[in-house]
Amino acid sequence: MDERNRQIAYKIISIMYFLTLLAMQAIVLYRQLVLGQDLHEFEDIAIIMTVNSLFLISALLYFGAIPIRKLKIRSILLIYALLVVLGSLFTYAKYNLFGGQELTFRELFDKLIAVFAITGIILLFFIIFSILGKRKMEKELE
Amino acid sequence: MDNLRLKLARIEKGLSQQELADLCEVTRQTIGLIEKGKYNPTLNLCIKIAITLDKTLNDLFWHENKK
Repeated sequence: MDERNRQIAYKIISIMYFLTLLAMQAIVLYRQLVLGQDLHEFEDIAIIMTVNSLFLISALLYFGAIPIRKLKIRSILLIYALLVVLGSLFTYAKYNLFGGQELTFRELFDKLIAVFAITGIILLFFIIFSILGKRKMEKELE
Repeated sequence: MDNLRLKLARIEKGLSQQELADLCEVTRQTIGLIEKGKYNPTLNLCIKIAITLDKTLNDLFWHENKK
């Protein structure tokens, strides 16, 4: 196998991996929103998806596939706010639009706290891997 | 765009595509595609090919009027 064969193989594997992730995401959404299944009915797929996506983005950050010149607090907060807004909208739509149940303010508040916390943990995970990746790169350049 | 200079250098050296491919540890198809200009080899492979054919990178891969 030479460099051209490897390039083609990597390209195809990447596309197939992306399509698999996309299909799994579609399955999770379909089960959740259309079939109205509870989380425990598709927990296995959801866990695989979450861990996979988390490590995929972390690996991309660590190995320098996503170029980051400098980690700015403002950009991090902006991304955090964006993810929280998206997560909140999804949570609202999931229960109020697709679930057909009107959540009380208290219930919605509890769910939003989970969104805030989980988003924060995910972002922290990414930041740690970005810093580690940056350090690795600087060490290699020394 | 065909890389005629590579093809000529290979023929000058009396090598077939398969022989050059074996010397550079790639497949015949890869050499064929480079000669046809349909595959951009890595710098490492360019150097390997140039050394095998006793040429410089400029001789084989540099286009004077390429923008």
